[in-house]
Formats: sequence, structure tokens, C-alpha cells
Amino acid sequence: MNKRPGEQPKDELTVTPPKKWAAGVPAVVHALEYSLEQTSPLKTGVDLLTMNQVGGIDCPGCAWADPAPGHRHRNEYCENGAKHINDEATTRRITADFFRDHSVSELSRQSDMWLNHQGRLTEPMVKWPESDHYEPISWNDAFRLLATELNSLDSPDEAVFYTSGRASNEAAFVLQLFARAFGTNNLPDCSNMCHESSGFALYETLGTGKGTVSLHDLHHADLIFLVGQNPGTNHPRQLSALEQAKLNGARIIAVNTLPEAGLLRFKNPQKARGVIGRGVQIADRFLHIRAGGDLALFQALNRLLLEAEDARPGQILDHDFIRANTSGFEEFAEHVRAISWDDVLTATGLSRTQIENVRDDVLRSERIVVCWAMGVTQHKHGVPTIREIVNFLMLRGNLGRAGTGACPVRGHSNVQGDRTMGVWEQMPDSFLDALQQEFGFDPPRAHGVDSVNSIRAMREGRVKFFLALAGNFVRAAPDSEVTEAAMRNCRLTAHISTKLNLSHAICGRTALILPTLGRTERDIQAGGEQFVTVENSMSEVHTSRGRLKPASKLLLSEVAILCRLGRRTLNGKPDIPWDRFEADYGAIRDRISRIVPGLHDFNRRVARPGGIQLPNPVNEGVFPTAVGKALFTCNDWEMPHLPDGHLLLQTLRSHDQWNTIPYTPNDRYRGIHGSRRVVLVNPADLTELGLSEGQHVDLIGVWTDGADRRAEDFEVVPYPTSRGCAASYYPETQGLVPLDSVADISNQPTSKGVVVRLEPTAPRPSTSPG
Amino acid sequence: MTTITETIEIAVPVRTAYDQWTQFKSFPRFMTVVKRVEQVKPNVTTWVIGVGPVRREFHAEIVEQEPDSHLAWRSLERSPSHRGEVSFRPVGEGSTSVSVRLEVEPRGVAGALTVAPGLTRRVVRAELGHFREYIEGLGEAGGAWRGIIRNGHVRPVEPEPPRSRVPCWPVG
Repeated sequence: MNKRPGEQPKDELTVTPPKKWAAGVPAVVHALEYSLEQTSPLKTGVDLLTMNQVGGIDCPGCAWADPAPGHRHRNEYCENGAKHINDEATTRRITADFFRDHSVSELSRQSDMWLNHQGRLTEPMVKWPESDHYEPISWNDAFRLLATELNSLDSPDEAVFYTSGRASNEAAFVLQLFARAFGTNNLPDCSNMCHESSGFALYETLGTGKGTVSLHDLHHADLIFLVGQNPGTNHPRQLSALEQAKLNGARIIAVNTLPEAGLLRFKNPQKARGVIGRGVQIADRFLHIRAGGDLALFQALNRLLLEAEDARPGQILDHDFIRANTSGFEEFAEHVRAISWDDVLTATGLSRTQIENVRDDVLRSERIVVCWAMGVTQHKHGVPTIREIVNFLMLRGNLGRAGTGACPVRGHSNVQGDRTMGVWEQMPDSFLDALQQEFGFDPPRAHGVDSVNSIRAMREGRVKFFLALAGNFVRAAPDSEVTEAAMRNCRLTAHISTKLNLSHAICGRTALILPTLGRTERDIQAGGEQFVTVENSMSEVHTSRGRLKPASKLLLSEVAILCRLGRRTLNGKPDIPWDRFEADYGAIRDRISRIVPGLHDFNRRVARPGGIQLPNPVNEGVFPTAVGKALFTCNDWEMPHLPDGHLLLQTLRSHDQWNTIPYTPNDRYRGIHGSRRVVLVNPADLTELGLSEGQHVDLIGVWTDGADRRAEDFEVVPYPTSRGCAASYYPETQGLVPLDSVADISNQPTSKGVVVRLEPTAPRPSTSPG
Repeated sequence: MTTITETIEIAVPVRTAYDQWTQFKSFPRFMTVVKRVEQVKPNVTTWVIGVGPVRREFHAEIVEQEPDSHLAWRSLERSPSHRGEVSFRPVGEGSTSVSVRLEVEPRGVAGALTVAPGLTRRVVRAELGHFREYIEGLGEAGGAWRGIIRNGHVRPVEPEPPRSRVPCWPVG
């Protein structure tokens, strides 16, 4: 993995001490600075003042819930949301001239940041097999090309339709409808790479794949765990909820390999105490855990709770809840009593006293919420870890009561809604039957492929056609070289996109760019102005309505593109009213209301301020698992095999980044400026490895297949990571994550647990920027 | 801690009185100080109460609920905090005795001012009267929630509740 020329920093790396607090006035300044660099003051104002407001634009960033109508701030957004939305509202444009000037090969060597900074895509483009340049193509010809290609496949299963979490409910529903009418369940999505472990674990143990908490629960919890998540960067509005909880008297325990700024202190820029005061301390207790040690931690806590119950029978566990609502307690208790403290202490890197102190916090707390993110899900034991968290919550009845529950914190605006709409390769027969009844065709029943299996299928030539509804699949997926080869092996790849990214340049033999409206833009169809709907992490479904003039007259909405694709490809068989769907998204929602449980009377209910709160069965005392009760589970784990001289690497985002796209080469909170090619290592590990600060190293991934996975020329930065653990930026280090290194059960890439060794970089001739 | 107990007799059957009481969102229709109620979950409600231009919002958790018998709640706010119970007891034929017991723990000066016991007692008594006027006038409840809550946990209304109300598949 050589450096892409665009990754060459303009300035040398400078390192300053990591911040000890998040947000505050600098967050406002940085958000406005970036916004005004990208777009006009007027557009910035329109975007920001309508963002996350009733009737306004839903932030296309993270999936954190909005406060109830009437309780929202005038400025209801965070630094990263502001950057993200104005990155989309940029006034920069990419035209046909740009593609004449830059070949696809040249673009494929550019950095993610450079490509993003070129601006909005404005017209459909095609790259023919014999050409190294994109050239304009009419929409009509683009759809003809897509339809011809799809209809020439030997089997519908040779096509894959990928969805990113930006897609609206309406677009996601239409995409899965088209894919199934075409004849395949090949519907991978970005969930496969972020919270798939949460979905599988919660579905198995509680009977619902969604989190159980609302903002009210967080506000009124006595104790909140933040496990493997970095709210300051990835879900900054969560900090407002945590601040509220703290002011209500909650304690917070942060469990992380890095002492992230947002875990330590929050200066709310909308409050005087955040502007001129010291803000609010977030974590009362910080557990500097080893990567992948969370399962051992929760097992140890569960054992301690059982032992506390032994000492004070009837006073520790919620026996009524366990008896009435759960199954498998005895087996679980026997299993967890047998765990070894030596193993726990090795896996977590914590002391027994630290864990016992947490136990004491737990015993003092009547209401507990556990939040987690990809620091938990992206490990081999991601699913068992979340199952153990569910065990932990159930022991003291911390499910279904006010101020309690399980809170997977999702990272992309509508990632949960897309799954609700049926974007999943394994949808149950109940959903497929409803689809059949509504549209009169028999959807395929064989399971399709998820993201990892899509890459395998493309690599092996079993999939020849790849269409992405938003996203940057090439960079989001693991094992970059394998993924890139898989994409290049496709006959045709097509991307429905707002901006340029590497997935357009590392593409199939024929490639299409289908430019689309952004979330910020007015969407006017034959039936008038449209809005779309999204579902946040707390199961609230609400509207999003863009206000800005579209970046180009030639842009089609995501829904329009998919409807036209459906009409041209399927040619009326089955008879689906694509024209009507395109003209009036309300017609799509009417169909959704008859197919997706909980969304009955969708159009009327979603029009209310705040939208629809989908009920969570757990909060109604219902556990729709196979046995009708919540399940205690017995979870086993192995210590990650870390040979001497090796570290466990996690890939992570910088603060100045949205998913695969860095906005600047800086990471303000961690004190990294001017370069992203850094590896953060504990100073004691550096000494042990004989490495020093500022030294340039190659990161070499170690996996059972013996393949050479190497990320070259990273500068070593001493950093307070946990011992034995290292961190480096995503997506630059995605190439180190082996495609076959996946979480058990969920098949999610293990991007937070990659075994690497660091080798001093050999001197080599420098390359010049392309 | 201030404890207030008020009882009133209402000329409707116990089921009618109880069912109407479970319709919290309808309270602003007949109560004077209750301005708005939202049912966040079966066991959590948000209340806006006020007199004149003053408004106060609080959240309440229902910790125990038994149809036609009683309902106990507590505020989720720590200051001022309150807890209470309303119980329903059949009295003769077609009448119900409704008792409200309210425990208020004012903390700090602001809390003490907002929960002056004499005022609170008068308000509780007046609002119970409003409830009686309303349900006796209508004669039947405008809805019902017949679920059970134990120690803050909701017990399903039906032994085999429909499992199709929400999407039940893994959400990644």
C-alpha cells in the first residue's frame, strides 16, 4: 500500500498534547471556517438553521436522535454535522472538463481528501472499457446501458446492490424492491461493516435488532457506560445528552483504549458554562482497556454481581425480571462463575480493583444504560461481547424500565432505517411474503451476499455488476487491495453519488457516475416538492426536506434514478408503478405502510412534528425471540494471539473526517496536525519495540493466509493508547484488515483488532504529487 | 418530605374510572394545571404543568400498575422529586373511591417554593374534582390501557402479543 500522492502532507507533521475536552468555542470556529471555505454565507446559514429542525434537513451525518420538538436549540447541530452538510453544499463543481483533464488512472492515485475537495458531481459520466477517461453520457443512455448489462447477466445473482447509510427510507425501499423484482437478495449495506454485530446480538437475545433507549432514558440514568465509542468526534450531539445526564446526577464510565477528549470533558458551546467556564466532566471513571477486552470486562462484572448476590441474597439481582422475562439464567450463571481472573486481567489490562470499583458503581445505581459503538462491534468477539452486555443489563433488570437499556450508537444518518426498509440479504419470509402480496411477484428466497461476501464474489467473478446507492465502498471495505481488485474485476460498476471518491476511479471495466441530489437540496418531481424520511438510532422516523437549489439542473434524486432503472430494466414485469413512485414519494410510503410493521398510516403520522416513534417491544415487556423470552447466553472467547513484537491495531477516524473522507490532514483533539500517516503507540511499547518518536515505519498486517499486507511510511507518535495496542487512521490502513478476518456470526470486518508489526521504513526515492 | 392524601367518590364503576385515568394525554382536557402530557413509553410520561404564565415540565415513571386497583409513579427528576399512588376501590354499586397519595420532597429554595404543601393540597383536591366531573359527565372512558407494571417493568397486555408491530430482524 503505497502512499497516494495526494496524501503527501503540505506541512510536516506536528504533534501537540491531546485535548482534554471537546467542543467549546473552537468547535464553532472550525465548523464555520470549513463551511465558509466550501460554500456561501447564505447557504451556510440556511443549512445550519434548518438542520435537525422540525420540517428541516436531517443531518446526513450521524444517527443520533433529536430532542423532542419544542426542546431543540436554534442551532441543533455539531461541529462535524456542520462540516458534513456544508461539504455537500459546496459551491465547487466537477464538470466534463475535469474528467478530460484527469484520467481515471490519475484519479485513482489521488487522496480521498483531494477527490472530495473537487466539489459536486453535475452530470452523468461513463468510462468505457477501452478508455482511461470518464466522458459525459445522457441519462437516457446511462439507463439503457445499465438495463442492457443487467439483462445480459446469466443470473440476477451476478448483480449486487449496495446501500450506504445516507440513503433515505424511500430510496432504500425502492432499491430493495427493484433488486428483488429483478431476482436477487444481493443487498449488502454499510451496516455490514459497522453495527452488524449489534443487530445479530440484540436480535438473538432480545428479539429486536434495535437499541432500547430514548434520550429520556439517557437523561435519567444513574450510570452510563460508554464502551468503545468516541462521542466527541463521531456523535458529538450525544455529548449534550450526557451533559444533561450529568446535571441530573448520573455517573459515567468510559471504557476505551484511548482517552478521547470527548470522554473526558464537554464544553457545550450553547451554554455559558461551555463558553467561558470549564464545561462538564463526562467520565467519572475511565477504564483504559485493551482492544477486544470488553467481553472479559463484562463477564467479570457479571461474576462479581453474582457473588454480591451470594453475599446478600435477594438484594442484588432483579429476580422478578429474570423469572418473568428471561431464559437460560442458570446455565449463564454457572458459566460466568467459572471464568478465570487471570484471563480477565490479561484480556482487559485492568486491575481487579478497577473492576471491583465499577461493580460498586453498578450496585449504587438503580438505572443503567450501556452505550457502545465500533470499538465493540469490530472485533472477532463483537457479537458475544454485546450478548454479555445484555446479560449484564438483565441481571439487575436494566431493560424496559425508565432510565435503562441498551444503546448501540450508530454512525450514519439512516443506517437503521435502510435496514427497516428491507435492505438486508437475509430478510425473513414475513417481509418477502408482504412484498409478494403487495406487488404480485415472488421475491427470491435464497439469501444474498453481504459486504464481505460481495467482495469475495466479485473477486471470483461470480458477481459482474455492482451498483452503489451512495457511499465509498472501495475505501469503506476491508483489505483494500483485494477489494480494489474485486471492483476492477466487475464488468460494470455504477455509483449514485453527490461527490467524487475513489470508488469512481477504482472501478469496473465499464463505470458509470450517476450524480444525485444531496440531502440539502430541494427535490421537485412531477408531483411537486418532495421530502424523504429517515430513522435515527432511537427508532424515531421523521422527515427531511432540503432547502437549497440543486448543484446542477441535471441531477436526479436517488429515488428518481432507481425508479427509472426499475422501469427500463424490468420493462413492466412485474407491474410496479415506477412513474408514480418517482412523481410522488408519498406513493412509496403508502406501500411501505402496508409492508413494514410499525409504519402503518405512514404518510399521515410522519407529517406530525417529531414524526413516528417506532415502539420497541422490549419496552413493552415483549421479547419476540424464538422462545418468547430474553435469553441469557454463555459466551466464550479466546485471547487474541499476539506474537512478541506485535501490536493490536485499531483503525479509526480523525476528528476532521467524515467516514472515509478526511476534510483536513489534522486531528485536533488528538493533537495530530499536518499528516494522517501516523501510528499511535504507547510509549512503553515503543521502548520495548526499540522504536522512537518520529521514526518512520511500515505497518505489516499478520494473518493466517500469509499475504503481504503492508501500509508504508507511517510516522510513530507516542500516545496514551493501552499497552499492546496501536491506532492509525481509516481508510489509509483498511488494507491491513484481512477480508477473512471477520466477527463471528455477524461477518463484520474486525477493523479494531488487526495484528501488526512495525518495521522501520526502508529509505526509498520520494515520489512527487500527481 | 410532605405527604398529601385526598380521596373522592365518583359515581362510575371502578373499571370506568380506572380506564379513564390511564388516558394521561386527555388530562389537559379537564384538569386546570395540567397543560400537556406525552406518553413516551407505556411506563414513562412527560408532564407540563403550570399556573398563569409559569410552566414546569417533569417526567414520571410508572413503577406499579394493576388494572382496576392502583397505579404508582415517581418523578424522574431528582429535584424537586415526588412520588405518588392513585388507588381505585369499588364503593357500593357503580361507584368508585379514588384516593391520591402524593409525597413531595422539595430540595433547595426553588423546590420549596414550587411545592408549597398547602397549595399542592388544594390543587390535588381541585383536580380530582375535575376528574369526577369529567368522567361522571361522559359516563364511559375514552380509552384504556390494561397492562400491568411491576417494579417499572411492563408486563404484556396479552399472553401472546402480536409480534408483527415492529420490524423484527437484525438491524446492523
